[in-house]
Amino acid sequence: MVQNSGGPAPYIYVSTRLRVRKAKLLPPEEYQRMLNMSLPEIIRLIGETEYQKEVDELGTSFEGIDLIEVALSWNLAKEYQRVIELAPGSLKEFTMAYLRRWDIYNVLTILRGKMQGMKEGKIKEVLIPAGSLDRTILDRVLAEENCERVADALKNWKMYPTISAELSEGCAIGSFARLENELYKRLYADLLQIARRGVKGGNQFLKFVQLEIDVKNIKTLFRMRGDGYEEDAREFFISGATFTPEELQQMNQMANRNEVIDALLARIKAKALQVALEDLRTEKSEQEVDTELTKTQLDHMEQLSKINPFSIHPILVYLEKKKYEVVNLRAIARGKESRLPGETIGKYLVI
Amino acid sequence: MAAEIMTVEVAQASAAGLKAVGAGLAVGLAGIGSGLGEMGIGAAAMGAVAENKDMFGLALLFTVLPETIVIFGLVVALLLMFQ
Repeated sequence: MVQNSGGPAPYIYVSTRLRVRKAKLLPPEEYQRMLNMSLPEIIRLIGETEYQKEVDELGTSFEGIDLIEVALSWNLAKEYQRVIELAPGSLKEFTMAYLRRWDIYNVLTILRGKMQGMKEGKIKEVLIPAGSLDRTILDRVLAEENCERVADALKNWKMYPTISAELSEGCAIGSFARLENELYKRLYADLLQIARRGVKGGNQFLKFVQLEIDVKNIKTLFRMRGDGYEEDAREFFISGATFTPEELQQMNQMANRNEVIDALLARIKAKALQVALEDLRTEKSEQEVDTELTKTQLDHMEQLSKINPFSIHPILVYLEKKKYEVVNLRAIARGKESRLPGETIGKYLVI
Repeated sequence: MAAEIMTVEVAQASAAGLKAVGAGLAVGLAGIGSGLGEMGIGAAAMGAVAENKDMFGLALLFTVLPETIVIFGLVVALLLMFQ
């Protein structure tokens, strides 16, 4: 394991490794090829890439779309764990903090899966044990029958206070949206706290966290406007970045889309985000706005990783791009299974 | 005063000594400089080779590029010592 000794060398080593890994991710034209293939052809193609090991290992137990789902999840979790092992010094702490979002994803997937009566094996296929909750803990949570026992199984989790406060209500009404909001708010509050603690490299991590909060808030804002949600929406926004929940709520109540974009542009400093917001002046569907903003976030992260080549940014860019590779492959496989046309699936890809 | 008691032999000996110090500094400082340069390149090269073994030859070439600075230092040292 690389320790934080020996000056900048470990940072250079890790940043270069992850840059090479990023270069090995699937190129855009490969997705275009996949859109014109059948499901078995896609499985064969994925089996020839970085996912070969997982596809070979799991090929005897799963087949078809299940094989793709499990192989992608396993590969992603393995890759994330590997990056944690590689990251030196404070970067390890930042990487682990960043990956804690997968804990929330896993817990909510289990809760929602159980609520809808899915089989344990099926839920397990889509879990990605990349955060602080490992497979053993997730298996325990998966085996629990009722909500109180799920909360008990998560007693040692950092977010236990939030989950214990919100879980029973979620189970009673059968919706975990409020729990999800609260967990993510807590996650971002923790990330901001870690970034501001004065550890070396914290400023760079802070830039990433604030960019992510901004993008998330803007996505939420456009979704709400799209749905015509005019009530008090402050609880859906995350504080700690450019805009406060109150300011975003005011923007949500503005009548004109251009007015909202002007208000956002007045405060946003990131060039890439400014360009993307200008693009949003023309009416677009929620899905297009979402994809556009995600692409912008990735572009801006890429720029940051070039400005700060030996910081947390190259690691975060790789982690994010890897996540979207898996999301894209899953979307293509699921879309093909549902016999959707290539153009429709293409709209959901983040390339 | 020192100037008054310095003989031709002493002056020749100290000139030879200063030449040796100069030659030593030329090689030594050039070595430290290349070492610092190679630290970054070496770390990046190891990272790249760890991910892709085909890069070994190119990585090795880039890692030893700063060695040329030491050769300049060595040439200066040799010139000083043997001219």
